Amino acid sequence: MFRAMLKKEFLLIMRDRHALAALFIMPSVFILIMSMALKDTFSSDRAFINYVVIDQDRTAISMELATLLKKNRLLKEYQQHISSKKQLQQALNDDLTFAVTIAVGFSKSLGNENPAVPLTLNVASDVQQNVLRLFEGELTGILMKLRIKALLHKLEPALPGISAKTDARLLDQSSLIQVRFNDLQNSQFPTSTQQSVPSWIVFGMFFIIIPMSTIFISERRQNTLMRMNGMNISIPALFTGKIVPYMVINQIQVLLMVGVGIFIVPLLGAAPLTPGNSVTALLLVSTGLSLAAIGTSMLIAVSVNTVEQATTIGGILNILFGAIGGVMVPKFFMPPAMQSFSIVSPMSWGLEGFLDIFLRGLGPRAVVTESFALAGFGLLMLLLAWGIFARRTGKGL
Amino acid sequence: MIRINNLTKRYGDTAALDRFCLKIERGIIFGLLGPNGAGKTTLISILNGLTRFQEGEVEIFNLPLRQNLRQIRKRCAFIPQSLAFYENLTVHENLRFFAGIQSITGRTLQDSLDRAISVNHLQPLINRQSATLSGGEKRRLNIAIGLLNNPDILYFDEPTIGIDPESRNDILNTIRTFKDDNKTVIYTSHYMEEIEKICDEVAIINHGKIIRQGKLKEMLQQEGSNSAIIELHKCGPTRLDRISKTVTGLRVLNPDTLLLSPQNSGVMAKLLTILEREDISVRQIRYQSLSLESLFINLTGQEQSDV
Repeated sequence: MFRAMLKKEFLLIMRDRHALAALFIMPSVFILIMSMALKDTFSSDRAFINYVVIDQDRTAISMELATLLKKNRLLKEYQQHISSKKQLQQALNDDLTFAVTIAVGFSKSLGNENPAVPLTLNVASDVQQNVLRLFEGELTGILMKLRIKALLHKLEPALPGISAKTDARLLDQSSLIQVRFNDLQNSQFPTSTQQSVPSWIVFGMFFIIIPMSTIFISERRQNTLMRMNGMNISIPALFTGKIVPYMVINQIQVLLMVGVGIFIVPLLGAAPLTPGNSVTALLLVSTGLSLAAIGTSMLIAVSVNTVEQATTIGGILNILFGAIGGVMVPKFFMPPAMQSFSIVSPMSWGLEGFLDIFLRGLGPRAVVTESFALAGFGLLMLLLAWGIFARRTGKGL
Repeated sequence: MIRINNLTKRYGDTAALDRFCLKIERGIIFGLLGPNGAGKTTLISILNGLTRFQEGEVEIFNLPLRQNLRQIRKRCAFIPQSLAFYENLTVHENLRFFAGIQSITGRTLQDSLDRAISVNHLQPLINRQSATLSGGEKRRLNIAIGLLNNPDILYFDEPTIGIDPESRNDILNTIRTFKDDNKTVIYTSHYMEEIEKICDEVAIINHGKIIRQGKLKEMLQQEGSNSAIIELHKCGPTRLDRISKTVTGLRVLNPDTLLLSPQNSGVMAKLLTILEREDISVRQIRYQSLSLESLFINLTGQEQSDV
């Protein structure tokens, strides 16, 4: 009996081109687009802050300051020449973000106990506070280095050779700070692929809501379910006949999308997906997610009356779950309140599970909570669907 | 074969079936007639175990329905009015699927498929996607699915709706062959001529009760020999309605036709006196055997389209 039901469900899905596109092509394309679109956001090589140094001092120290700013890969030197206040204002209104003016006498006063000539920083009016703080931090770091250098020069007569000994270490930031991403090896860093593949796997898996509920509603409206009921097919058997094939379809989706992340995304120039170390963990999360998606689908299928209602409600629910759960906008971009609120979406639990596996390289123990929460949610939805369907069956479907 | 005793099914305060009693013998084609809401669909749903009932007893194959539902269902088939199969599957895939969920396997499976296909002339269509079949072919597939478990009782709910006369004849001929295999057919249809053509016995239901039941030929002879159709020269429907209330058994069929059933010389004389007094001239009086349609209208007061 189950063999017949499984075969039927697969044949129906395989012959529904729209369902296939929604289940397999749409999430794969999303992975490709989002991995490419967010590629630079996760890259440390992207210069996105325009700045200019207006050097009126023209000393070795002021030139060194300009050189050190150039070394920061997030900063991009403004190419147009600025020689007047009017030009400066115009540039700041266009695409210049920061202008550092080094006044005459700056270098001389740098080694003094209280420098008399400070740097002037002109800022574009639309600059974000965090970008301003970042630039200020960078500038302060450089000023500190230059100031220490100036002070060491002053100490040179008393302590010969001290400047030469300290110089190299002062300029080498990596000897002072070593960046380590949480749960990643020293050589690993998060990429746009690591972020987008989990997101769109979760979103794609929930897309079974639409084909699953529309097939079920068609069966109900055509009286096929009533006919099956008359052939002694019980509700548990009917539900199992639906759950199993869609679980298999969900697992195929996961495999396909991981494959796209590993093999196709690098062909387009983005970093490949590193699939993590635990197949068991992957199975746990994907099974839990699958149950959650199937439970939601069944609840919609038994609750509404028409295919149009199912596709509308299913689509809206999918997008809402995705938006709240951090699929469309990564959770770390959200304000703290939204981050806390995202917990209401089962997509958020699935996403956390996949990020644990793909991004943080963790194993089954790390994802067990998310997996069981998802499975529990799915079973609860299935139970509700069963109750509603049993009531409707009693009334003649 | 089927015995129903004091069956009551209520939806809220409305009784769809009210202390309903019926007995259907093995190997006959039994027609179920009644206007919309009479209780036909409810009765078929109950017999298939698809709807629960509150009171009464239903026995099929001498087994109480409630306690033996699964066992009884294995020997019955319900062919719904809607095309209850998968349009995206081929004819063969549909038949295999419905056989599969009934756990029909091995040699039995092949025999069942062969029988369902040959009886319904589906062999040339076997690999066609069901969506591409004509209306009549789809109806035949709908019936074929019902034959897979080789049932002893077949419930047909308007199986010829929306198809051409040729396909309808094909289907009626197919249904008639079931009788030769000693199968029992319970048949509901909107088309009276179909019921007249294939049914051995008929029950006319209204308001959840049987108002006439018996062998179709006997019923028509009995009711028909006792009826007269009086055709009049045009007169107002209001006057006819008024007259019909004063004569027992008189019904207005249309603005210039009356049906008197049962009729006898006394009642006929009374009617003619009233017509003369009202200055309504009679064009023709016909004493004829009654059609099922006239009988149905006479008993239920419904036009055919309301059935």
